[in-house]
Amino acid sequence: MPSLPRKKVGLVACSGEELPGGTVTRLATLRVLEQLRPGDTVTICLPLFLAGGEGDRAFARFYPTIAVDGCEKRCAARATEMHSGKPAVSIVVPDIVAERGLGNVEGSRRLNQAGMQAVAATAERVAEEVDALLGTRGRSRETTPTAEPLPLEETEPVVATCSCGSGIPIQKMMVGEETVSVLALPLIFEQFRKAARVPGEETGRDLLETVRVYNSVPAEAEGAYASALLREYAAFLLRKEALR
Amino acid sequence: MTGTKPRVVVVPCSGIGKTYGTVSREAAYEVTEDLRPAETRLVALSLLVLGDEEARRVVGEAPAVTLDGCKLACASKMVKESGGTVAQEFDVLEVFRRHRHLKPEGIAELNEDGTELARALGKEVASAVDGIRED
Repeated sequence: MPSLPRKKVGLVACSGEELPGGTVTRLATLRVLEQLRPGDTVTICLPLFLAGGEGDRAFARFYPTIAVDGCEKRCAARATEMHSGKPAVSIVVPDIVAERGLGNVEGSRRLNQAGMQAVAATAERVAEEVDALLGTRGRSRETTPTAEPLPLEETEPVVATCSCGSGIPIQKMMVGEETVSVLALPLIFEQFRKAARVPGEETGRDLLETVRVYNSVPAEAEGAYASALLREYAAFLLRKEALR
Repeated sequence: MTGTKPRVVVVPCSGIGKTYGTVSREAAYEVTEDLRPAETRLVALSLLVLGDEEARRVVGEAPAVTLDGCKLACASKMVKESGGTVAQEFDVLEVFRRHRHLKPEGIAELNEDGTELARALGKEVASAVDGIRED
């Protein structure tokens, strides 16, 4: 049975190239993606919220998202909220630098020692927030976060899970008089089809529950959603049958 | 070069998941810090995504050179969407095709080939900046 994408935490770094703090966000996010929580995290380039498609803009609605910003402008947090969805957590590098009493972070292109310490501290904070969001805090980890900078080349390279261009599959459907976009619906239908689920009251209930994992369903519209999901699921099965 | 001409805006891809994004960023630093520091200025994509007024003003008042790390061309799209003029677009993959002997790797830290590719791109961008400022 195909499984829905495992719920991961989305990371969005401001990556601001003109500020040392932006470089800290980029390197810290990479460290979490590649070393600290490689199986639990995914990223997307911030500009794709505007330059990409609907699937890209769905990122923060699909994944609980941590925005990592290099300055108080909080471009990542604010732009994510404006164009995708409200981040679950917002982390600002200067706050962490102040908390830890680190020195002046300098060097957008090549960070100084304080900058590398800020990378380690920020990565550690992001990893903690990932655990909190996934409910895995306290669970033993293969890689334990450390406050000391770890040279990236010392560990086995893991490719950062980048969502660029992959998008989240979306299907539109009519709910009552309104057209709504439902995240991950094609995957959900495929999962139900492989499980040989037939349209009916129980399937409608289960479809609604699964859809609710990835989408916000207004309580007053639950009945209309269940009917619409059953109708669309039946149409999906017919299309699949016709392709055989 | 004329000192009164506006500094050319350099906007690199802000990708963190792929090597070519890092190449574009490194090339942008090469131009704005080493090759043409007085004639160029770096603008971060994140500011344009947010719609930051100052960043939009800078992009709106000077020609821009964009460096994109993948076919989605975020840098070019965002400059245009922010009211700017893209005087020249660079696609890292195109530059890579002209330097096929190089095998760039790494994201946080480029390998030697990646750094060389960034230098090659940086030189092309610097030359484009000269041309734009002469027009």
